[in-house]
Amino acid sequence: MYPYEAMFLVDPVKHGEDAAGTEKVVSALLEKHGAKVTRFEKWDDRKLAYDIKGHKRGIYLLALFEMPGANLNALRGDCELNETILRQLILRLDTDIPTYLEQCAKYQEKTREELESRRAARREDEEREGEEGLLDDFASVQE
Amino acid sequence: MREKREKRDKRDKKKFKRFQARTCRFERMGVELVDWKDVATLQRLSTGQSKILARKRSGTSALFQRKVKEAIKRARFMALIPYEGS
Repeated sequence: MYPYEAMFLVDPVKHGEDAAGTEKVVSALLEKHGAKVTRFEKWDDRKLAYDIKGHKRGIYLLALFEMPGANLNALRGDCELNETILRQLILRLDTDIPTYLEQCAKYQEKTREELESRRAARREDEEREGEEGLLDDFASVQE
Repeated sequence: MREKREKRDKRDKKKFKRFQARTCRFERMGVELVDWKDVATLQRLSTGQSKILARKRSGTSALFQRKVKEAIKRARFMALIPYEGS
């Protein structure tokens, strides 16, 4: 059993007709190959960066699971044959799933902090520049 | 004459600000990985034409640049970010 992270891109038309059904298609595929799913989440309907099989929009399903490595190719093959799944990316994780989740959560938090500090620094810069500008004006008036 | 020089100084100050020595943002943040699902960060590490930013420009360390490369390529494959153009 190895830990895997997989993302499936699902046909939005079929998902619109039967939302629970498409999610079941994916989870059934995982179960069929003996995967023990720890997390299964659905992202919102997103616009794709480029067309895939004639689709401009798609729905992303993200799954974290443990599966025997021998079943990986069979799972990939089944995904290729499935018409609901437009594209899939299955990655073996370096660490176990709880550690990975922890690392991801930490990453999210840190990137948010970084963004905020950057914004604050920029604001500070602008303020300082504004003050300098005022001082310059003052100097020119004095002259 | 003086005004001109001041203007030029100001412009140079702005120009060279971009080339200040920087440390790797990921090492500063103290994270272990680069998340390929985080589109906002990956887009900040690529140009408008979706090229991967060089280490020279982004200041990323060699270790994390390899992770960034992998993350961007994965995100591209899943159509989260474009291969080219915007």
